Amino acid sequence: MPRRVAIVAAAPTRTSSHRTDVTYPELVYEAVSAALEQAGLQAADIDAVTYGSMDPFDGVFAPERWNVEACAGAGAAHRPLMKITTGGTTGGSTALAGYYHVASGLFDVVLAVASQRVGETLEAQLVLNTAIEPIYERWLGAGAITIAALQAVRHFWRYGTTEEDLALISVKNYENARRNPNAHLMRMLTAQDALNTRLVSWPLRLSDCCPSSDGACAIIFASEERARQIAERPAWVIGAGQITDNYWVGDRVWYEDWDSLSMLARRVYRQAKIQDPLAELDVAELYNAFTIQEIIEYEALGFCEKGKGAELIRRGVTTMQGQLPVCPSGGVLCTNPIGASGLIRVAEAALQVMGKADDRQVPGVKKALAHSWGAAIGFHTLMLLSSEAP
Amino acid sequence: MTARVAIVGIGQTALTTAADDRQYHEHDFEAARLALADAGLDRGDLDTVICSGWDAVDGRTISDMHTAMSAGGYLKDSSHVGEDGIMALAYAYMRLTAGLFDVALVSAHGHAESSFETVSNVVFDPLFTRPLGQSHLVSLALQANAYLQRYGLSEEQASAVVVKNRDNGAGNPRAHLQQSVGMEEVLASDPVCYPLRALHCPPQSVGGVAIVFASEDAARRISDKPVWISGISWAIDSYDLGSKEISRLGSLATAAGKAYRMAGISDPVKDLDLAEVHDITAFHELMAYEALGMAPEGGAARLVEDGATALGGALPVNPSGGVLCANPYGAAGLIRAAEAAQQLRGDAGQRQVPGARRALAHGMSAPSGAAARTDCVLILEGG
Repeated sequence: MPRRVAIVAAAPTRTSSHRTDVTYPELVYEAVSAALEQAGLQAADIDAVTYGSMDPFDGVFAPERWNVEACAGAGAAHRPLMKITTGGTTGGSTALAGYYHVASGLFDVVLAVASQRVGETLEAQLVLNTAIEPIYERWLGAGAITIAALQAVRHFWRYGTTEEDLALISVKNYENARRNPNAHLMRMLTAQDALNTRLVSWPLRLSDCCPSSDGACAIIFASEERARQIAERPAWVIGAGQITDNYWVGDRVWYEDWDSLSMLARRVYRQAKIQDPLAELDVAELYNAFTIQEIIEYEALGFCEKGKGAELIRRGVTTMQGQLPVCPSGGVLCTNPIGASGLIRVAEAALQVMGKADDRQVPGVKKALAHSWGAAIGFHTLMLLSSEAP
Repeated sequence: MTARVAIVGIGQTALTTAADDRQYHEHDFEAARLALADAGLDRGDLDTVICSGWDAVDGRTISDMHTAMSAGGYLKDSSHVGEDGIMALAYAYMRLTAGLFDVALVSAHGHAESSFETVSNVVFDPLFTRPLGQSHLVSLALQANAYLQRYGLSEEQASAVVVKNRDNGAGNPRAHLQQSVGMEEVLASDPVCYPLRALHCPPQSVGGVAIVFASEDAARRISDKPVWISGISWAIDSYDLGSKEISRLGSLATAAGKAYRMAGISDPVKDLDLAEVHDITAFHELMAYEALGMAPEGGAARLVEDGATALGGALPVNPSGGVLCANPYGAAGLIRAAEAAQQLRGDAGQRQVPGARRALAHGMSAPSGAAARTDCVLILEGG
């Protein structure tokens, strides 16, 4: 059995399409200093750092170097720092790396930081296109939006999901984001407004797609002994894992289902002894960069049967008042600093367990799930947090 | 007390100038196949795979979409570090000691599709240092010059490192440069960036390396010659060259101190049988001796003059020929661990240090040369 590990602080920054009010190191410092303050720790208390970002969006190669002193003075103190990059899952992978730093017994207090300035990118989809296999698939123009559109087309065809269902997902997330001061898009949106936004890649409309955001996030992981000293109500890690599917977009036949996520969910639920996720989880922060993905994630994560995802949102099960609120933060749909978004999911889940989610708090959260996906929808990470130690 | 972890499989490709018929992830594929064959394992035996690389150097976003598959990560719990492969090793070590996995593979590749030197300029902040043309090599030259000035080093003293390592590389069938060079040749090679001459600097090589690790029980089952990790530590340095003492390798000294404590080493020259260090330039091998506690400050050149670090000396350093003979950027650090482990298994052929039982491997992960470089130090022990 690994050591028990808990999150003792979680601090996402404010986000916008371009945080021109801060330099890159200042943005990272904003997240790190907020996390340290929340935990009541000093920079010197940090034993090691894990850092996530997807450099190609920043216009800076290896930005963790430039930002090294913003990470609790890691350079001057010659601390261990490890850079993680795994596409959209970068933030989730950075959290996992932070978890393993402590679980291994090598470190007691570890800072996980993720940042992204998509505002420095001329066009994020062009950057994403370079991820696609260069000989057969790249010239088709595939990027995150077009691949998500394929998922939607297949889901509509196979399961009868409609544009109106997607609009319900948008409305729920936009409404939640208005209670989250760190969200990027904070405005009223009705279902009719959503259906009136312009088509981006059929059947996805503008309101079905995430924005490009600048933002950062910091989390502090601690060993059992330190966690009990630092936090009154830490968020214990009771399950964690990631999975890597193949890289050929054309090799994934079932776009309407996310089988790699189902497989990962089974592994993580087994670790955490979860039998019925809909009944046992109190909140979920999912990586819903596109509305259709939230619906497919409900199914892959076992909140409902395959093909029944849209019914959950029609019945309001995943709204703030429902049985299992999904993305009280507004999710990736309303805020997407790409490499940081996965860590923000973990941070939001941790804040819910710690009872520190302010206006977006779901009452009495005991178990929270954080998810991220990345690459050409081939990577996933999951982290399950609990108010009770495993 | 952390659990024990051992190296049970090593795969290294040949290192060459260019591989026009390959994509970058194919180096990982060949190395991973070799490492699995060496361990007598199948892809299905792997529990976790950690790949490494820099998207900006590979010319792709999310370059691990490709390497994860090539290294056997399909549908496995896999991850990727944006660092030299030596840091993938550090991550795999933690995954195994946490007790959730038994067998891990790490892989790294170097691919000369882009000039590392050109790309490295983009590591520097866009406001102050990037417009100056600061780069990997320029920052290393500044550091070499600071060291040279501080201790009054002669050009011959630094060049003696090149002669030693190129001699060693001549005995390494996988090295990129396998020709010995004389002192006159080094001193007559083209100036690159003062005080560095062409032969003080490594080539840019292509190729891959992969290592299979296992937790204690699995290691004993898999291998009759496991190589145990008895010490490991890594540390990053400051970014701003103007606000630190650049004539010393501070992050390496810190990492070495912690790794020595973990492995119970008090006198590295006596306690170690060999070392593979990341000689990113000839000057940096000398600076590494001091950071690793093998020589007093300013005393490194003496070790080379006395032949102490040559094959047959008290502590041979870089019997493989080191990075000066083969430098796949992103894999050169992990290759240090592979070479050291091969020595401890007695598999190092012509470059074998007789009876080697304990070795140090030092890998540097530095997209930006001297600015915020990461040093990882491993202590390895034969069965």
